[in-house]
Amino acid sequence: MTAIGRRRGALEQEVLGCLASAGRPLTVTEVLADLGGDLAYTTVLTALSRLHAKGALHREPSGRAFAYSLPEDPAAVGASVTARRMSRLLDAGPDRAGVLARFVADLGPDDERLLTELLTDARSEGGEPRA
Amino acid sequence: MIVAMVLPLAVSLLLGASAPWLGHRLPPATAVRLLTVAMVVAALASGFVLAVAGTLVVGQIPQVAAEGHWSARVLGSGMPVPAVVGGAAAMTVCGLLMAAVRRAVLSGRDLVRAALTCRRLGPDVGGLVVIHDDEPDAYALPGLGGRVVVSTAMLRALPAGERRVLLAHEAAHLAHHHHLWVQAADVAAAADPLLRPAARAVQVAVERWADEVAADEVGDRALAARALARAGLARAAGRGRRRGASVALAGTDAAVADRARALLAGPPPRRRALAGALAATAVTLSVAVLVASVQTEARFEAAESAYAAAR
Repeated sequence: MTAIGRRRGALEQEVLGCLASAGRPLTVTEVLADLGGDLAYTTVLTALSRLHAKGALHREPSGRAFAYSLPEDPAAVGASVTARRMSRLLDAGPDRAGVLARFVADLGPDDERLLTELLTDARSEGGEPRA
Repeated sequence: MIVAMVLPLAVSLLLGASAPWLGHRLPPATAVRLLTVAMVVAALASGFVLAVAGTLVVGQIPQVAAEGHWSARVLGSGMPVPAVVGGAAAMTVCGLLMAAVRRAVLSGRDLVRAALTCRRLGPDVGGLVVIHDDEPDAYALPGLGGRVVVSTAMLRALPAGERRVLLAHEAAHLAHHHHLWVQAADVAAAADPLLRPAARAVQVAVERWADEVAADEVGDRALAARALARAGLARAAGRGRRRGASVALAGTDAAVADRARALLAGPPPRRRALAGALAATAVTLSVAVLVASVQTEARFEAAESAYAAAR
């Protein structure tokens, strides 16, 4: 399977997420290794090139290939501040009106234990190490 | 007519009481749509019958009757509403209307804020905004196509497959305009406080809906459940570090453990009969309100012609 089965723009988001979590420049091969084996090399290369062309990625030579990273420009820092202020604002008070849909809410007292168990079970069944 | 007047309140009570259960039983997408529609219908119907009860009582005040050119005696003949109840209804409906308007204004303001933030976040590149932050966080921001905002700490906490789940979940919120359903349910609950538990059920079901879409997209329910577990634990650890012990707002959002468990339990059954029953309730209520409105109109017409004949 290549990028088929993914929604439009999903692969670009995954590539951005991969580079952001790595925190250092990655080559196409490294991105491919992180995202998993179901993707073709050219598919990842295309996504990276497209993001670079849009100005979303910085690119530097690394050996015979390129290494890609998120640009450390002031605009990105400004965006961080804007986004953080926004989330505080929408989070505040009992009046918040369901605009902000958070992936996971804060955990209740029992949740922490249950979720830890869930992950432990997954590890013992060998479902875990697919990073 | 009495039945038509009492039915909206009975349905509101029933809907509020059964919504948490309905939200669990129905498939999430169906639950969100049907519950919200039923809530809006129930809120409108309740407001309408309260307004009618109030109008019938206020309309019998002699000065009001003279101004409206109708007969107070005919309007009140065989009165279905006791005066005290009607007076209370008139005051209640005014208060609830104000609460609903306030809720709607707040929702609108937050939507505008979200859209402005989207614009400030710059041009849409892949729809993902990575913020540099040590607190694990991820959310969808609607407006102008919307943005998915994820902190670097959250991205680092998850392996690639689980990051994919997270991104698919947030994209589903935006693609299906989940905020509009939640806001409509909130406004309905403000207008009809009996529906408050139902508004919360809609919030929970919206998260489950996005979970189901994400699990479908990655084709692995267990992977989706693990993503929830790891993200939840990462967020708890991050917040614990920052603000000391329990800041848990348990009960304000969908419980993460419940969502993970639901994913592991397998695809939700369709429950056609239950969905049909809920839809039928909404339709019945609409018809009842229509009947009440026709009967009220007839009563006012009779009172007006009596007034004209007496002159």
